[in-house]
Amino acid sequence: MSSHAAGTIDHHHDPSTSTGIPNKKLMMWTFLASDCMFFGALISTHLIYRLHPAPGSPQPKEIFSLELTSFSTFILLMSSLMMALAVTAIQKGNVKSMRWSLLTTIFFGTIFLGCQVYEFVEFATLKNLTLTNSMFGTTFYTLTGTHGIHVAIGVLWLILMYVRSFQPPEGQRTFGWLFKNCLHVSAIVGAVLLSMFAILGVVHTIQTGGTTASYFASHLWMIVGFFATIAVAVSFWRQKTAVNFGEANAIDVESMGLYWHFVDIVWIVIFTAVYLIEYL
Amino acid sequence: MDAILKSELQVKDTAAPAKSAVFWRPTAQTGLVSWLTTVDHKKIGFLYGVFALFFFLVGGVEALLIRLQLMLPNSSVLTAEQYNTMFTMHGTTMIFLAIMPLSAAFFNFIMPLQIGARDVAFPRLNAFSLWTFVAGAIIINLGWFMPDGAPNVGWTGYAPLTSKTYAPDHSVDMWIMGLQLLGVASIAASLNFIVTIINMRAPGMTMMRLPVFTWMTLFTAFLIVLSFPFITVALVELMMDRHFGTSFFEVSGGGMPILWQHLFWVFGHPEVYILILPAMGIISEILPTFSRKPLFGYPIVVFSGASIGFLGFSVWSHHMFTTGMGTVATAAFALATMAIAVPTGVKIFNWIGTLWGGHLSMRTPMMFALGFVWMFMIGGFSGVMHSAAPADAQQQDSYFVVAHFHYVLIGGSLFALLAGIHYWFPLMFGRKVSEFWGKLSFWVIFAGFNITFFPMHFLGLNGMPRRTFTYDTNLGWNAGNFIATIGALILGVGIFIYFAVMVYTFLKGEKVGKDVWDARTLEWSLPNPPPEYNYRVIPTVHARDALWYIKQNPAEIAKEDAAKAKIEADHGGIHMPHQSIYPFVASLGMFVAGVGISAIDHDPTPGFWGKKIGITLIGGAIMCLGIYWWAIEGNEGYHLHLDEDGKESKDKKADHP
Amino acid sequence: MSAPASTVPAHDHSHEASKFQIYVNVAMLLAIITGVEIVGIYLPFAKWIIVTGLVILSVVKFLYVIFYFMHLRWDKPFCTILFFIGLVLASGTVWALLALFSAKDSLPLPT
Repeated sequence: MSSHAAGTIDHHHDPSTSTGIPNKKLMMWTFLASDCMFFGALISTHLIYRLHPAPGSPQPKEIFSLELTSFSTFILLMSSLMMALAVTAIQKGNVKSMRWSLLTTIFFGTIFLGCQVYEFVEFATLKNLTLTNSMFGTTFYTLTGTHGIHVAIGVLWLILMYVRSFQPPEGQRTFGWLFKNCLHVSAIVGAVLLSMFAILGVVHTIQTGGTTASYFASHLWMIVGFFATIAVAVSFWRQKTAVNFGEANAIDVESMGLYWHFVDIVWIVIFTAVYLIEYL
Repeated sequence: MDAILKSELQVKDTAAPAKSAVFWRPTAQTGLVSWLTTVDHKKIGFLYGVFALFFFLVGGVEALLIRLQLMLPNSSVLTAEQYNTMFTMHGTTMIFLAIMPLSAAFFNFIMPLQIGARDVAFPRLNAFSLWTFVAGAIIINLGWFMPDGAPNVGWTGYAPLTSKTYAPDHSVDMWIMGLQLLGVASIAASLNFIVTIINMRAPGMTMMRLPVFTWMTLFTAFLIVLSFPFITVALVELMMDRHFGTSFFEVSGGGMPILWQHLFWVFGHPEVYILILPAMGIISEILPTFSRKPLFGYPIVVFSGASIGFLGFSVWSHHMFTTGMGTVATAAFALATMAIAVPTGVKIFNWIGTLWGGHLSMRTPMMFALGFVWMFMIGGFSGVMHSAAPADAQQQDSYFVVAHFHYVLIGGSLFALLAGIHYWFPLMFGRKVSEFWGKLSFWVIFAGFNITFFPMHFLGLNGMPRRTFTYDTNLGWNAGNFIATIGALILGVGIFIYFAVMVYTFLKGEKVGKDVWDARTLEWSLPNPPPEYNYRVIPTVHARDALWYIKQNPAEIAKEDAAKAKIEADHGGIHMPHQSIYPFVASLGMFVAGVGISAIDHDPTPGFWGKKIGITLIGGAIMCLGIYWWAIEGNEGYHLHLDEDGKESKDKKADHP
Repeated sequence: MSAPASTVPAHDHSHEASKFQIYVNVAMLLAIITGVEIVGIYLPFAKWIIVTGLVILSVVKFLYVIFYFMHLRWDKPFCTILFFIGLVLASGTVWALLALFSAKDSLPLPT
């Protein structure tokens, strides 16, 4: 499969296609054009209902925390950078560097998701903004929640791509490998979820007067679980077996990258049209 | 089925080398497994066609019931509730389960052949689209078998009729879920077709040498991927209103029901162009073939198709002229609607130009095609009458609208699809429909159709409203309705003849050789039916109407083909994709989850493992596993080596490592 | 299903090496613009000026991500055309819907 020397595949031109654009790339760009319409419909719904809010509607300015949202915007932009670096790395055949970049992308993506969960919980419990108690709540949660789901799907995809980069050559793909594969995926997913909820839990505990130590004392399983997942991930990382992943797979990473960047640019639009605009 | 399965040129032994046991590599060539695991665009197209024709009959029965109810005033063939279900399901079935999949059948079977490709860009995604379509079709129709009944809110599902207050049972949920699955299927298939047409054309097949049917496939695919997201969002918002207590369309919570209409029609209007563009493409193939002339004004026909597609996104509120949008909005949409009549009219002129001075051969496909031109024109006239908003104020929601869209959908889309079936039957199955019976079915259909729908123009102008289950005897509508029902029965007979003839021909019809119509496009260069790999040698295209050039220059082409065959053999032979069960598994998962979401009651003692959530999660898990296996099973495929006669030669090479 | 892409001579390497730098620079620029946006909304200018400024800055961020991170700058123009079809259509539809719902006749009746 990767019979080319590193750095010798032309990643900009695929001669087997009529246009030179790889099929997967073309499909992803078309899908993104479609997704523009999808978010367009959701953004329309939100903005339409912001045109003439009923009297007594919640005031977004009093609900939003611009610091938090700016922080998460910055995080997502950084994750985009990491994604671009992952693509460049694999285009040069550097699997290890790609893995690091993917992990940092996952890391930043998780932080974004964590911030969003935190924000939703804050709004719902402290600011009395729920999905159903106002049009603003309805459209806000639906739009940003859908974006969040897109991010979550992206994080899952990143994890799967990361684990994919460990796939052994054809002959060694046994049922044993399949089990280990699923274990690897579960470990990373577990690490992501555990760390995210642990940190959210700690933050919540501190805000309600508790201490970090007390939180972990009552949630010992989270620490244990987290370290277990990390141990599993590290043990896979250190395996030295040959993998069926290299420069020829760059198109898959690139297509995934396009999706991830798209999720970022949708957030740029949402940040402006949902958050910033309310401050005027 | 036989014809596809037992093609002499079909590869029988896909001896793949020993692969890891983890991934099942189905190799069945016949039987149920071969159909469930096929990734061959021809078989998938055939399946789309079979399902479409089945649902077409279902929709037809629903229509006959409607007409029987309306035959006489104050009738009680159906109750009001049953009537609502009938017109809802008739519309939903005909649009989403009959016309669209029948078009998809042709996109799948014919388009790759027309561009000189061996399959679509993503064969497994193609299979996934098919099975997800089946899943959606089943969920929409599940209500027939449940106490809730089938959906009864009109195919346009206006709020607030669809709210939990007015439609408290599961029928609307199943309508929503079924449509969502159909949307997924359509978008996936369209992404596939776009990449295929743009990226997998044979050498020399520039965009301006593409057959018009392929162009229309491309435009339709773009319309689908760009318009379906709006109905997806609308349906999600509706589902949230119904189940999560939101108020997107709920006035009491601050919502606006009119928003549903906007979101729906932003999708709904491009949808009608999705229904007609493939038909226009088919006609653009048939008229030149049976006029023995190239299509008149090819670039203009293509450009008009693009214009119709693009402008189709700017006219949606012409379905809402009577909702009080205000003068500016109404005028803007009226103007845009009138504008879109221009490229449509241009196409009609070009088709007439094609016929003009041609050597016309009045075979059955030509009859349907000529019927299309004329009937679609009538439908276009009534459409343009609608575009004048003041006139539409009377016509809206009357039978005039029903007349209009049946003229464009039956007289237009259906006639073209029926023409396409006759036209491409010899290619797909190696048999030709008898001229007498084909023409008879045409005339009966033509007569029945016009007798049914022409009176509806008058019924509408005389004030008869749509979607009402009965009418009183002193309104002046008795004669029109009676005649329309007689027409519907005649139409039913015509369809019956058509289907009977088709089934007969499929089983025992006259066998024919290649290129029975002396046509101009590449698909006719293949044996009937085409072998699994389509082209033994990928053709080189020298001109528009590629096959015509090939037939005029046989020596040049033969030399070219021989050279290319050698190159291809040296490169390892013909690359074929493996069959796979995982697309089916993924669709099955979506089906189960869809049933869980829409058809199962909430558990009276709710908990995480209640019936509803449980079934949904199981479905989701099956879907995820199916997708995951699909992603990791690899798509290396296998290779074929063929000799000059297209028979597989003895030395089969192993797959590339 | 496409065969492996063709090979290119090594002169492309300098292009590859500076890609890293380009990406980092773009990321820095995006971060700075985000900062400017946040400060901007508190500035004492007329609403329409700030709104225009925000929109412009967002468009700039948007364009940088699609042309650099998403590589459109170096890819075949058709990819750009494809995406812009969706983008323009979506923007146009959003604008039209907002215009429709802002029209006097569409205002909700006073309760």
